[in-house]
Amino acid sequence: MDGSIVEALAGLAGLSAIGKGLAYGLAAIGPGIGIGIVGGKALEAMARQPEMAGRIQSTMFIAIAFTEALALLGFVLTFLI
Amino acid sequence: MNPLELLPEKIAELVHELSVLPYNDMHAEGPVTSPTVLTNYVVWGIVALVTVMVMFIVVANREKKQMRLAAESGDVTALAPAGRFVGMIEAGVEFIRDMAIDVIGAKEGPKYVPLLGTFFFFILVSNVYGLLPAGKSIGGAIGGTVALALVSWLAFVWVGFSKNGAYGYLKSLIPEGVRQMPPAGRIVLGGFIFLLEFISYFLVRPLTLAVRLFANLYAGHIILGVFSAFVALFIGTGVGGIAVSGISLVFLVLMYAFEVFVAFIQAYVFTILTAVYIQSSVHAAEH
Repeated sequence: MDGSIVEALAGLAGLSAIGKGLAYGLAAIGPGIGIGIVGGKALEAMARQPEMAGRIQSTMFIAIAFTEALALLGFVLTFLI
Repeated sequence: MNPLELLPEKIAELVHELSVLPYNDMHAEGPVTSPTVLTNYVVWGIVALVTVMVMFIVVANREKKQMRLAAESGDVTALAPAGRFVGMIEAGVEFIRDMAIDVIGAKEGPKYVPLLGTFFFFILVSNVYGLLPAGKSIGGAIGGTVALALVSWLAFVWVGFSKNGAYGYLKSLIPEGVRQMPPAGRIVLGGFIFLLEFISYFLVRPLTLAVRLFANLYAGHIILGVFSAFVALFIGTGVGGIAVSGISLVFLVLMYAFEVFVAFIQAYVFTILTAVYIQSSVHAAEH
């Protein structure tokens, strides 16, 4: 009986490692798609109006930073689990 | 013997190498938690700080001398940048100034160039030191990035309160349209938006600034370390091993080049975000 409790606890430790991996992996899906859209649209805008490339690029970095914040919250959560 | 069996051991060694240790004892038992011990990250942070200070003091003195000479002789060509190094620093400062004017505005922007320039050059030089063998970047330890983010946080909160007053700044968190609603909507919706915006302004902003820098650099160092471990582990295991080792070496060089790019881009992102946050504080009354 003691052995089965120890085994169950060992299994739980493994599950928490899987949970950590899943937490960050799932948190990165949305921002991944979002950053792709931001980058693609910025590229379109720069191709359309090359003289605005500087302004578009700095705005793009700001937008990426806000999108990335969600993935970073998932990254922090990984350490908190 | 299968070299992959040794990999977990090598990775544990790598993580230990990258943790916060006393600067003169790389084989210490575990990470340092006492604030009084001088750690490797603190030492390399000081080295980066001294490098930036020396660079700027030397360049500023040369520029002053040139200005004096030009004023005495009346020859404007004496003002041209003296050599590649001075030209490089001038280009960097101009880059920061243009960014500040672009983001914050032509009138308020130049005031914040010293703060933004210090962030940019300190983080950039520190990141480059982090890529040297045995070197450490201040961004590789969460304590270092939290300290940088706190300075940025203090700057934009202080600007917000001193430009708009406490009431004006906190009021600006609620959009203009909600403030003009009937009292019931104003209190319920306004209170809810205020709570969300308060968390976003004062908690999420510094947290993401710190974690972004840390996560990017730490992940980069781990990737470089894992590829180095591959190169070292597979080299002595026959023809196939040498092939794997060679491919890992190619990837290691490519990743190293990418990390140089990351070192620059993360310094730039930290600086431009600080500028954006300061801009939102300066012009809080307008939105």
